[in-house]
Amino acid sequence: MDDTKKLWENTLAEIEMNTSPANFNTWFKDTRILKKDSGAVFLSVPNAFVKDWLSSKHHGFILKILRGLSSDIRSLEYTIAPTDPKKKQELPTKVRTSPNRELPLEELYINKDDNLNPKYTFESLVVGPFNELAYAASQAVVKQPGLVYNPLFIYGNTGVGKTHLIQAIGNQIKNSYPEKRVHYVTSEKFAMDYIGSVQANKVNNFKEKYRKYDVLIMDDIQFLSSKEKTQEELFHLFNNIHDSNKQIIFSSDKHPNFIPDMEDRLKSRFSAGMIVDIPTPDHESRAAILRSKAKNLGIELAQEVVDFIVSSITTNVRELEGALNAISCHHQIKNKELTLGEVKNLLRHSSKPKKTLSVKEVARIVSDFYNMEENTIYEKTRKKEVIRPRQIVMFLLREDFGISYPSIGEKMGGRDHTTVIHSCEKIKAEMRHDSNLCKEIDQLRTMIN
Amino acid sequence: MKFECIKDKLLDAITKAGKIATNRNPGLPVLSCFLLENKNNRLIIKATNLDIGIRLEVPVKTETPGVVAVPGEVLINLIGNLPETKNIKFEGSNGEVKLTTNKNFATIKTKDPNDFPSIPETKSEPFNMPASDFVNGLKAVWYSSTQSSIKPELSSVFIYSDSEDLVFAATDSFRLAEKRIKLKQSKDFGNVLLPYKNALEITRILDGEGGDVSVFIDKNQISLSSGGTYITSRLVDSTFPDYKQIIPKEFETEAVVLRQDLASSLKLANVMSDKFNQINLVIYPVKKVFEMKTKNTELGENIYSIDAALSGKDIDISFNLKYVSDCLNSLTADSVSVSLNDVSKPMVIRGVGDKSFLYLVMPMNR
Repeated sequence: MDDTKKLWENTLAEIEMNTSPANFNTWFKDTRILKKDSGAVFLSVPNAFVKDWLSSKHHGFILKILRGLSSDIRSLEYTIAPTDPKKKQELPTKVRTSPNRELPLEELYINKDDNLNPKYTFESLVVGPFNELAYAASQAVVKQPGLVYNPLFIYGNTGVGKTHLIQAIGNQIKNSYPEKRVHYVTSEKFAMDYIGSVQANKVNNFKEKYRKYDVLIMDDIQFLSSKEKTQEELFHLFNNIHDSNKQIIFSSDKHPNFIPDMEDRLKSRFSAGMIVDIPTPDHESRAAILRSKAKNLGIELAQEVVDFIVSSITTNVRELEGALNAISCHHQIKNKELTLGEVKNLLRHSSKPKKTLSVKEVARIVSDFYNMEENTIYEKTRKKEVIRPRQIVMFLLREDFGISYPSIGEKMGGRDHTTVIHSCEKIKAEMRHDSNLCKEIDQLRTMIN
Repeated sequence: MKFECIKDKLLDAITKAGKIATNRNPGLPVLSCFLLENKNNRLIIKATNLDIGIRLEVPVKTETPGVVAVPGEVLINLIGNLPETKNIKFEGSNGEVKLTTNKNFATIKTKDPNDFPSIPETKSEPFNMPASDFVNGLKAVWYSSTQSSIKPELSSVFIYSDSEDLVFAATDSFRLAEKRIKLKQSKDFGNVLLPYKNALEITRILDGEGGDVSVFIDKNQISLSSGGTYITSRLVDSTFPDYKQIIPKEFETEAVVLRQDLASSLKLANVMSDKFNQINLVIYPVKKVFEMKTKNTELGENIYSIDAALSGKDIDISFNLKYVSDCLNSLTADSVSVSLNDVSKPMVIRGVGDKSFLYLVMPMNR
C-alpha cells in the first residue's frame, strides 16, 4: 500500500512541476492510486469531470511519468471513488444547539443498494482460535472472489459472529473491487421477495435482480427450511451464479446436512465449496472480544471484572455485548469505575443461572435415552448394556456439573471413587475415536441443559 | 470563428446556464466562462463548475465555425443590457471576441478554450418522464435538506424508484419531505443522492420546460436531457438513512384544516414568533379547540383559533414555525391533515386525498 502511495506522490511532484498551479489543484487534488495490479495502475478520481479530463488530456503525460518511475507499468485506468475515507473522519463533529428534536434516524445507516452494514469490517472482528479457520477462509474468498471456496458456508450458534464475518467479506470485496456488485440478503427477505414477485406476477424481475450480482451473501439460510418453492428458486439461482464463477456466501446455525426439510440437491450444493464451523468462543477469545468492545465504548475494565463476565457468560457474544452495555450505562451515571461487587450485582440477572439437576434426573434422562430401567444404573450388575450408560452418567456428572469423584461414587450406589475416575477416563478416551458416542453425548447434553 | 444569432434566444440560454458559469473559481478561471462552440448553424453553449455541467443549443447562422471561452458574467450583463436589438454578430480572434449590433460594438477578452473541461456523458439506458414531473418532485422536497456539508447524504435529495413510482426525499434530521411521482414506464435504477444545490439548479433550468426529459443514471452521475438541453450532475456516494421506519403508521390526534387557513394562520403567528421560531399548537378535540400560539417576550403574544375537524386525544405541542410553513407550497390539495402522536413524536402533514406528498416535522423540546 505504502509503495503505491509513494509512487503517486512522486508522480504528482513531477506533474506539479509541469502544470500550472490552477490546473494542478483542480485536476490532481484528491487523486490516489487505488491499486496496482500486474502492470495496470488503477487511479481513483473524485468525479466524472476529472475522469473525462484526465483520460482525454493528460493520459499520455501521466503514463509517461509513471513509467519513468516504475518501468513495469503498462496501462492506466480511472475509477471514480469517494475521496480518501480517512479524510472524512477528520470532519469536525458539530455540537447541535438547536432546541428542535431530531428525527430518530441514527443507527439506521445501511447501504440500500447492497444491504451491507458498514460497521461490520474485518478490522472490528476479533480473531481467536475459535474462528481463525473461518477467518482464513473468508480472507481467501476476499482475495479471489468466486474462484476458491465457492460457495462458502459458515455455520455456528447464534451470537458467534457469523453475520459480522460475512458482512465483513462483502464490505471488503466492495472496497477492493469497486466494480463488483455485492448484495447481502437475509433468507427471510429473499423468501419474502420471492413471494412478492409471485404475487405481482414478476418472477422474471426477481430472477434478474438476483442474477446480476457478482457476490451474493445470504444470511440464516436455515429459515428456508420447508419453503419448497423458494428453495427451488434458490437452487436455480445458485446454479446460475455458481456457473458464472460468482461468489456465494451462506450462513446458517447448523451444518447443511442437519437443516431439516432442506432439499438434498441444495444440501449437496452447499457442501460443494467450503463448510466452516464457528464454535463458541473460548475463554481467552471471549476476554479479547470483551476488551475490544469495551475499548470501543471507551471504558476500562479491571482484569477481575473481565474474568468474571467472561466466565459467567460463556456462549453468546451478543450477551457479552449486553452485559457491557449495562456496565457502560452505569459507568456513565456514576462516573467512576465499577467494582467487581457492583458488576456482579448488575449481571445477576443477565448471566444465565446454572441449571441445577439432581443426580437422579441425570440418571433418568440417560436411562431413558438408552431405553433401560432407571434402577439398573444404581445396581451392582456388570452387564455391558448397563455399564456404558452408567459410565456416561458419571462422566456427565463430573464434566458438566463438577461433582467430586467420591460423592459421585456414593450417589451411584456406593461405588469407590477410583471406579468413577476410571469410568470418566474411559468415556473420554473413547470419545476421541468413537464419533457415535460423541453424538450421543452431545444429544444428552442438550437434553440435560 | 464568426456567427450571427437572435439576441433573445441567446440571452435565454445563457441566463439558464448563467449561475453555473458566473461562480468565480479562483482555481481554474476558465470555469467562470461559457464555452461557445459554433458549427453547422448551431451554437453549443457549455458551462460547468465541475459539480454540475450544462450544455445548451441555440440556432445561429454560422459563417466560420470555431470555439471561444467567454467570461460568463460579462457576457450576460452585456447582452442583457443591450436595448432594442434583434441580432448580434460574433467574431472571435486572438484572445478576444467582438460583438456587433446595430448600435453597439463590444470587445470581450476570452480565455483559452482548450482549458475548458468536457461535460461527461452518462452511459446508461435512459427513462423518460415529463420534465415538469421531475421538477415538481425536486421542488417538493429539496428545501428539507441541510446546507451543512458535514453529512453529504443529508445535503442531498434522495431519488429512488419504488415499483411504479419515482420517489424524491430529503431530510435535515429535523424534518423530512417525501414526494412520489407516478412513472409511465417503470425503471429500476436503485437509488441516487443528488446534491441539493444541483437539484435547485436543475429545477431552475428545467422549470417551464414542456415535453419529456430523458433521465440517465449511472453510479456516479445523473444526466437529464430535454430538447437541446443537457444537464449532468455528480452524485453523492453515501447512504441515505432508512427513513421509512420512522414514518408513524397510526396517530392519536388528527386535525383536518383548509390549506389556505393554515397558511394564513402561520403568517399571522410569525409576527410574534421568538428567536427560536417557536409555535405552540393546542388541539383539544372534545372541546373543539385548535389554537396556534406564538409568544415573544419583547413584542407580545398572539393566539389564533383555526377552524378544523378534530379527532383523537388532547395534545399541546411546540414546533419550529419555519419548518411547518416550508411544506405549504408542496401541498396541492385544498384540505390538509395534521396528524400527531405524542409530544416527542413527529407530526405528519399530508394533503387530504393526496398520497403523493408526505411531510414529517419533529417537535421542539420544552
